[in-house]
Amino acid sequence: MNRALKAAGAVERVIVRTGEAVAWLTFFMALVTCLVAMLRYGLALGWIWLQETITWMHAAVFLLAAGYTLARDEHVRVDIFYREMSPKRQAVVNLSGCALFLLPLSVGLLLGSLEYVQTSWLIQESSREAGGLIYPFPSLLKTLLPVTGGIMSLQAMVICVRSVAELLKPTDPGASPDLPPEQPPGGGL
Amino acid sequence: MYWPAFALFACVVLLLLAGFPVAFTLGGTALLFALGGALAGVFDISFLGTMPNRLFGIMSNETLVAVPLFVFMGVTLERAQIAEDLLDSLSRMFGGLPGGLGIAVIVVGMLLAASTGIVGATVITMGLLALPTMMKRGYDPAVATGVISASGTLGQIIPPSIVLVLLGDVLSSAYQEAQLAQGVFAPRTVSVGDLFMGALLPGLMLVALYAAWMLVLAVFRPASVPARLTPGEEAPPASGESGTPPTPAEWFAGKVLRPAASLGRLLAALAPPLVLIAAVLGSIILGLATPTEAAGVGAVGAMLLAALRRKLSLARIREVARSTARVSSMVFLILIGASVFSLVFRGYGGDEVVREFLMSLPGGVFGAVVLVMLVMFLLGFVLDFIEITFVVVPIVGPVLLSMGLDPVWLGVMIAINLQTSFLTPPFGFALFYLRGVAPPEVPTTAIYRGVAPFIAIQLLALALLALWPEIATWLPGALYGG
Repeated sequence: MNRALKAAGAVERVIVRTGEAVAWLTFFMALVTCLVAMLRYGLALGWIWLQETITWMHAAVFLLAAGYTLARDEHVRVDIFYREMSPKRQAVVNLSGCALFLLPLSVGLLLGSLEYVQTSWLIQESSREAGGLIYPFPSLLKTLLPVTGGIMSLQAMVICVRSVAELLKPTDPGASPDLPPEQPPGGGL
Repeated sequence: MYWPAFALFACVVLLLLAGFPVAFTLGGTALLFALGGALAGVFDISFLGTMPNRLFGIMSNETLVAVPLFVFMGVTLERAQIAEDLLDSLSRMFGGLPGGLGIAVIVVGMLLAASTGIVGATVITMGLLALPTMMKRGYDPAVATGVISASGTLGQIIPPSIVLVLLGDVLSSAYQEAQLAQGVFAPRTVSVGDLFMGALLPGLMLVALYAAWMLVLAVFRPASVPARLTPGEEAPPASGESGTPPTPAEWFAGKVLRPAASLGRLLAALAPPLVLIAAVLGSIILGLATPTEAAGVGAVGAMLLAALRRKLSLARIREVARSTARVSSMVFLILIGASVFSLVFRGYGGDEVVREFLMSLPGGVFGAVVLVMLVMFLLGFVLDFIEITFVVVPIVGPVLLSMGLDPVWLGVMIAINLQTSFLTPPFGFALFYLRGVAPPEVPTTAIYRGVAPFIAIQLLALALLALWPEIATWLPGALYGG
């Protein structure tokens, strides 16, 4: 079990690093959006591809940071009952949730989008807009779908390992191995 | 075969209560229903084949890019601690009046709503700073917690707000769908900008109603909202005898007689957020920028403002960026989960049944709207605005709009309804956040009692809006000639 926990920790670190790295894109999105607005209204200049990069940075952020958000436990829960549960009960919820919902969804996303992505690479897809981003960018963006499926499957397995470890633990209030959330659940909206 | 659609809906609501993240419960339950249905031969699994394309639609949706940008702007302003300064200077200004601290909280709530728009942060900040002061002054804990929670939720209705961005996007496709179904092939559109304009006056109306309630309390139950009893950092108003709270007239005279000292500080606190609000909202109102562009400018403006206040560093930007990424991911994964849900719900013909049911209601459009509002209000007790927006609105929106309702009016009605869900116990976000920071001597029941009058005000606002739809539709019509 210890070995599994260690492996889970290592996998999660990679997922968290990935999320933290793509998070920087939100900063660049703000800068580029501001730039696009100023160029358009100030100098009447505009490029479709520059505008598209904003949308695509946005997509990359919410997809690639999904596993990181899960690791930080910030995907909002209806926690009326959950927050009152013992760690073992919570582990049962998380284990069954991962097995019944998250893993089928992520594996489904991974496998179900492969053909869609493959087609995009085969036809060397470019943006539908004239002056938009050209091949290979649209195909790269679509490739994020199976990648996200993969990341989410891995993080789901990390949670499964942690939950099993919690359930096997003799009942004593030990320190939780989960990283503490950086702000209250619900993401602070 | 319709019943599986409703079994799916009921299962989702029940399973959500177990506490597994909403996004995956929504999508996962729907996936299981689809697979089960396919095995039983009652569901066409090829429905799911359209999923990658739908997901790509979400990924390339330009309207929704405004969400992370507004979040970025809000978190930056929150970290720059503008809330603290606003609260400090406004409570100095209003503090001498009975009910004044409550009004200061409402005004701060309004200003933060138009700048940061983050309910959690607003409620927590005001709970930490204003609540102890109000308790010390002898405010009724229920009144104090009620006004803080309610003011915090103004961020949901006063533009720019995330709810309105999400609703605007969902309603615009619902509006297209409704018109196409009626054979209108050059459909009119409704945009996030229209919804922002539509929500502005109703939002300010709520502010006025909250403030009016404070004044009502000040007149009829003055003990629950006392004025300053002991002199604070400033001298007590000239005409007020020590120990007795001044009447509003005396208080006002005192303010007018010695305005200069605190005015500078007030301006220093008010000016930066006001300039930013004016720039962001102004550029949308004047049609200079789309909400997304305004959000980008606002995010950069917020960073400049933070830099001016020496609250900007690389480490802080990194924190803001990470926080934004997590919130964004949380919101958009719910959208993805909800789109799996809607797909399966439609696959079972659930939307047809909802349509026929709503159309057959006695009372026509009115009956349908009342029922939908009631269902959303009730769902608000357990779900929050993101799920309701993504799950319920796509199902009922096209039906209601095809009955001839104005999309802006409907959007604002829904937004106020969803804002109320932040206040309804037991699962109101605002209440949770406040409970987290309220001192232990404030019982949870006091918080629940405290929000009750504000929930009533929300319902009153819905009624007023139903009677006079112009409150929502006049401004966008006047500005855009729509």
